[in-house]
Amino acid sequence: MRIFKNKYLIIIGVAIISLASCKKDVIATYDVNDVDIEDKSLIKDRSKSNKQFISILYTTLHQKAISSNQLIRTERVIESFGDKALINEVIVSNYMNNGNVVMPTNDEMRTDLDSFITDTYKLFFVRIPTEIEKAFFVNYIEANPNITPELVYTAFASADEYQFY
Amino acid sequence: MERREFVKKVGLTAAGSAAFPYILPSGRLFAKTNAELADHVIYVLFAGGVRQQESVLQQYLSGSQGVDIGGNIMYNMFNGTAPDKKIVYGTTPTNEPTGSLPIPKLLTNTLQSQGLLFPEVEAVNGGHYGGLNSLLTGSRSTAQGLKVRPNSPTIFEYLRRHRGFKASDVWFVGSGIGNSFPLLNSSNHEMYGTEYGANFVAPSITFGNEGLDVLSNAKVYHPDEELEPIQKMREFLNNSFRIKNGEVQGIRNGEDEKENIKKFVREMFTKKQTGGLARPPAGSSGDLNTLAYAAEVMKYFKPKITVVNLTNVDGCHGNFSGYLRSLHRADHGVGWLWDYIQKEIPEMAGKTIMLATPECGRNLNPNPIQDENDWYGYDHSGDANTRRVWSLMAGPNVPSNMIVGSESNQIGLTTDNVLTVADIFGVKDAVLNAGFVNPGSKSLFDRI
Repeated sequence: MRIFKNKYLIIIGVAIISLASCKKDVIATYDVNDVDIEDKSLIKDRSKSNKQFISILYTTLHQKAISSNQLIRTERVIESFGDKALINEVIVSNYMNNGNVVMPTNDEMRTDLDSFITDTYKLFFVRIPTEIEKAFFVNYIEANPNITPELVYTAFASADEYQFY
Repeated sequence: MERREFVKKVGLTAAGSAAFPYILPSGRLFAKTNAELADHVIYVLFAGGVRQQESVLQQYLSGSQGVDIGGNIMYNMFNGTAPDKKIVYGTTPTNEPTGSLPIPKLLTNTLQSQGLLFPEVEAVNGGHYGGLNSLLTGSRSTAQGLKVRPNSPTIFEYLRRHRGFKASDVWFVGSGIGNSFPLLNSSNHEMYGTEYGANFVAPSITFGNEGLDVLSNAKVYHPDEELEPIQKMREFLNNSFRIKNGEVQGIRNGEDEKENIKKFVREMFTKKQTGGLARPPAGSSGDLNTLAYAAEVMKYFKPKITVVNLTNVDGCHGNFSGYLRSLHRADHGVGWLWDYIQKEIPEMAGKTIMLATPECGRNLNPNPIQDENDWYGYDHSGDANTRRVWSLMAGPNVPSNMIVGSESNQIGLTTDNVLTVADIFGVKDAVLNAGFVNPGSKSLFDRI
């Protein structure tokens, strides 16, 4: 009989502890705005048409619009080649060689690398770089004295992300 | 063996069998089953719509204009004597009638005498795009829309996937960018697609005035100090993008292949400026220009397969004399290309099979349009004559001086060509097993 008495006591004790510990979570607020941790601007799933790509590229690099004649000629050249990424690289390189590309000097780039990288991401990808991306470019450019704004611009203009919006 | 162990072993074997084909580095899905017949293939889409009467049947004007003059105007490809009257198909000497001087024969032995001729083949499609599709996919292309990639896998994709060729091994040299030609380098098939597509180039534009303006001033970056950092930064950017958006689709060459192709592009502009481009003796316009650049592509890359598309004979809709001239030039260009491979590309000489077929024929009866000689034009609107073409093949392991079929005994389909090329590279069974080739198609070697 004593055993049964102890058993009841244990059950009642457990029930009390359980009830006492079942408290609803309190959602703490700290007067900080909610921030999406996933950068939606990184999701670009629509491919630019050849026409869009060329007119945006030209404007990005020259800070002025491409003429319609030049746009059509360039579009036809892109169509005439199977590997679009490859031919786009050649076109970018052709622009770089014509001397009319508007970009910071090497000194300006190295004076404020953080700003240069952020501006470059905004210019080409229309978004702010993540901290990882910024860290990569700061480290890479600092470690490689041969890197010029032209090389950085060439990499951005020929990157996959620049083909999408 | 205990049941549990048996089930485990069967499961592992099944999983291994399913996964194994996909993990081969070449991407090959099925084992190679045949020995290769040649190291390289040049596949000429003798396209534009070619009547049997003026080509393989050698009727010149007798089969079309009611003028009783026959003869062979394609004497580099076919055996036969040239017409001796009313010559309009040649070049035009000063103060002489248009086209009155035939282009001299280039090949001592015709391709027919060197190889295998199927003089009466069924074209499975009477239109340009459908016909070209069937030549490249081996399917009937009955549901094929314009301005979209082929529905069925192309020979390029079969070879890259099952034979493991890299992108720069596989070239499609097109006559232009109209008529959806640039889309023919790959299908949109989910099992194949652009990942296995060919490098496409339309030389009249890429290396023409437009290309000169847009591409020829491209910078040459120092490989270590400039190119490598560009590639590293781009790789980082592409990896970041790939994490969120997946693999970007499209024909892709490896970094080394890309730099090599850029070098080729530069070389073409340099050769153009210095007059060093390979050229057929009769000139370099239209189809001859396309064939000349196909020769440059072959000389530079030594591709496993080069497909070249011709189109000028389609002028037959409104200019029969011009059609005869185009046919004569296409024959000259094909003969020159064959000769060029044997003499100027030692890596491919004696190791290359050439295959040529029109994508469709043309009507038996003319349309009402007359040209400068009052000769009538011919369309290709799908009558029985439109479905009649020929196939010609020459090279190692191809029987010489052999004819299979005749005007009264049609043997072969235009869809045979895909299996023929697959047969040459030893992957015929893999292509057949994929299940997309027109039923009833065979390798031409199996039709002999």
